Amino acid sequence: MIHVRELTKTYADLRRGQFVALAGVTFDALPGQVYGLLGPNGAGKTTALRILSTILRPSGGTATINGHNVLTQPSLVRHQIGFVSANTAVYDRMTAAEMVEYFGRLYGLPESLLQDRMHMIFQRLQMEEMRDLLGAKMSTGMKQKVSIARALVHDPPVLIFDEATVGLDVLVARSLQQTVSDLREQGKCIVFSTHIMREAERLCDRIAIMHRGHILAEGTLSQLREKHGEEDLEELFFQLILRHEQQQAA
Amino acid sequence: MNWSKVHLIMIREARDQLRDRRTLFMIAVLPLLLYPLIGMTFLQVAQFMKEHPTRIWVIGSGGLPEDPPLLEEKAFARALFDDPDQARLMELTIEPGSIARQALVTQAAQEAVSAGDFDAVVYFPPDFGPRLQELRARIEAGGRPHGEPAELAKTIEALPQPIVYYNTAKDKSRIARARVADMLHRWREGVVAQTLVNRSLPVEAAQPFKVAATDVAQDSGRRAAVWAKVLPFVLMVWALTGAFYPAIDLCAGEKERGTLETLLSSPAERNEIVWGKLLTVMFFSIVTAVLNLVSMGLTGGFILAHIQGSTTGGGILQIGPPPLLCIFWLLLALLPVAALFSALSLALAAMARSTKEGQYYLVPLLLCSTPLMVLPVLPAAELDLGTSLIPVSGVMLLLRRLIEGEHLEALKYALPVVAVTAGCCLLAIRWAVEQFNNEHVLFRESERFELGRWLLHLVRDRSETPSAAEAVLCGVLLLLIRFFASFLLPLPSGWNAFAVTTVIVQLAMIATPALMMALILTRSPGRTLLLQMPAPAALPAAVLLAVMLHPLATVLREAVQILYPLSPQTLSQLAPIQQAIEQAPGLLSLILVLALVPAFCEELAFRGFILSGLRHMGSKWGAIILSSVLFGVTHGLLQQSLTAFAMGVVIGYVVVQTGSLLPAILFHMVHNGLGILASRMTVETVRATPATQWLLRQSGDHYVYDWPVLLVCGILAALLLQWFRQLPYQATLEEKLHDALAHQSARAAAR
Repeated sequence: MIHVRELTKTYADLRRGQFVALAGVTFDALPGQVYGLLGPNGAGKTTALRILSTILRPSGGTATINGHNVLTQPSLVRHQIGFVSANTAVYDRMTAAEMVEYFGRLYGLPESLLQDRMHMIFQRLQMEEMRDLLGAKMSTGMKQKVSIARALVHDPPVLIFDEATVGLDVLVARSLQQTVSDLREQGKCIVFSTHIMREAERLCDRIAIMHRGHILAEGTLSQLREKHGEEDLEELFFQLILRHEQQQAA
Repeated sequence: MNWSKVHLIMIREARDQLRDRRTLFMIAVLPLLLYPLIGMTFLQVAQFMKEHPTRIWVIGSGGLPEDPPLLEEKAFARALFDDPDQARLMELTIEPGSIARQALVTQAAQEAVSAGDFDAVVYFPPDFGPRLQELRARIEAGGRPHGEPAELAKTIEALPQPIVYYNTAKDKSRIARARVADMLHRWREGVVAQTLVNRSLPVEAAQPFKVAATDVAQDSGRRAAVWAKVLPFVLMVWALTGAFYPAIDLCAGEKERGTLETLLSSPAERNEIVWGKLLTVMFFSIVTAVLNLVSMGLTGGFILAHIQGSTTGGGILQIGPPPLLCIFWLLLALLPVAALFSALSLALAAMARSTKEGQYYLVPLLLCSTPLMVLPVLPAAELDLGTSLIPVSGVMLLLRRLIEGEHLEALKYALPVVAVTAGCCLLAIRWAVEQFNNEHVLFRESERFELGRWLLHLVRDRSETPSAAEAVLCGVLLLLIRFFASFLLPLPSGWNAFAVTTVIVQLAMIATPALMMALILTRSPGRTLLLQMPAPAALPAAVLLAVMLHPLATVLREAVQILYPLSPQTLSQLAPIQQAIEQAPGLLSLILVLALVPAFCEELAFRGFILSGLRHMGSKWGAIILSSVLFGVTHGLLQQSLTAFAMGVVIGYVVVQTGSLLPAILFHMVHNGLGILASRMTVETVRATPATQWLLRQSGDHYVYDWPVLLVCGILAALLLQWFRQLPYQATLEEKLHDALAHQSARAAAR
């Protein structure tokens, strides 16, 4: 479903020269699977997901989503994905219903299908009460629900969640995790980036541990534990990062 | 591009703006309140804006003639005023006795005016009155010495002059001086008239005729002339202001609120997003301009009616409303201007990270566009080829002509104005789209700017060929050098001076900057300047193309000169150059200086560095046209620029298709060489070479190509261009990506 090969992203930086945000990242994510990108801040998770959602262009390598290239077919790619990120806010001067409807129309959904989809999503996410509430008046949890509804309105096969639980309280975060689980059950391919170990452990079928633009380790949770001989994910994470830092320093 | 998505985005953005109180205030409430408030303030202040009296010190009035009198009871004589009430505006302090030493008077007057005791001082020297009387007596007594008018003239010349002391640094003093000068002028006329009467001559002898002036302008024409100056200016200012604030909110505001990334991840393409936002901004720009115009018109109308009503008692609006046709032209011109300002505002606002930062960009935009809006309001500004090519100013001047009803004159310059305006609009929109495609602009992080690090970064992180920005910088640099050099370089005094100047300008001011930039800013100067061999047939093909296009270029040049003839001043400025060229020792030296050297130098700069850089924009034709515009503009003379632009497009195309600079140099050299040969065609040379007789025909004092020659050459040139077209050209990465994206959009649209 998602095939990423040797994906790189470099920025020109006055101070550091060419700064490598993503250094040849390769992974595959399949339908019915939650693929986790786990890494500290600045690991390159957001850059990778921004490239997958065609907001940024890769400097090298390829990424295809459902067979469409993110560089040369960005419009087709965007039809295949729903993107929820800490950076994708909701409009202050639009109600929940208006916002979801607007994006549904941008996706070119026929009017009757759009109304059906909206009805279903609003019910599933328990959003009926906030239908006519302006974005500016919503709580953080409500805004996150609207973002998810906006990403789901065209029923995409791929969903990308970038640090989607940042700033949410435990209850709302738990409800979001439940939504992600439900989507997996429906056969969606989900990429989920986070820096919270518990979340990755609970949610992800496969995990890629990222640091400074590299994938340090990749596999199912049990594969990772087995390969590195460490049961505790947090400890495993620290060891991998420490080893990478030592290698870089050498 | 999917216009239904553009429409969706536009409707959403417009609704979003209308739900924002700040925007509503700016576009609707402010104009509706502002002008009535200004009007009220004006009327209030007008009560206090009365004429204030000025204090005048008159020294030495004792011996002045009484017939007619200058002064009466501590004031100027009432007979000197049209309206006797005006006498109260001058409070006089009269000193009958005079002072002989003028230096003392000057000092006293200076002190009195500086200290503010008096606004002006009038000084009559001690013997002024008696000598004037004496002169009058001689004239009145028939005393003009017969046959000696020269002596009388000498007497008048020797008459001591009254002096008015005033201070230009003080407004009140300048007013006082004007009032006193008017009084003295009227008194002098009175003296002349009285002298004539006393000599039994009619008063009319001094003024045998008067000039009567009759305004033949019709009422509508008079109204049009007033409105033609005021309305375009008001419209432009508000179109810009009305565009800027929504643009900031729609770009920087969205970044600030975090919704831009939401929109970028939606299926809308970047150009659809830009068009949607652009149309919204344009809508608000137009509405703001129109609302301001209406509110200003209504308030102004009421105030004028009030003022005129209170002064004449009629209450009739003398200026009257603008003619209907005038409003039609205004609205028509508002569309492209609003589009231009909206696109510029959007592109600028896209750079800002926050609304606060966005507002900083308003000042540079205003600074750049205000002179363009003020220029057409200046009394000397006229619509001609030069002014019609200035963005915004051209539209305003064309608009003025249209409002004044001079449609034929307007039509003559409509093409350049429309072309320039459309070109600017397209460029501005293109810039806005580029900004939205540019990750560095959309996701700019605050980074401390240091000149040293930036220069280091330019050299350290340079690419194979220059960036588009570096190419534009090179073009602007060449223009600036040319601008300053035109003031510093002397006009040639002969062929040698002309040849040396031309070669120095070409080598030092065109080729060297481009070469230096290629060496410093690129990793592969050879690839940048396209110093590689093309397909072998490309070289003779380029030569042949230059030969075939020469007749068409000649026709184009003639057409430009007929449509936009050179002014006499320009011709006289060009005369020394023409003379210098005529003094050239031989054809070879002419070709060396005017064909060979420019071909090498200009091609290195314009088709080498600049075109290579501009091709990173992603559009082959965009790069060719922009490089040709820069090439045209550096030719200085507008009429020359137009033909140079056309040739630039052809040469640019040849370079892109062959991937080499050599065909361009050959084309340029042959083109210029043929131009030199053509200019030396005289009756004798044509007679001496029979081949030219069936190519050329005489037209006036020079030769032109016969039309069958034009036709054949045109067809052959088209075939040659077709041959260049089939060459496998090397697309840049950006051009490939651009094509792939366009292909995808076309497929999506087809579905």
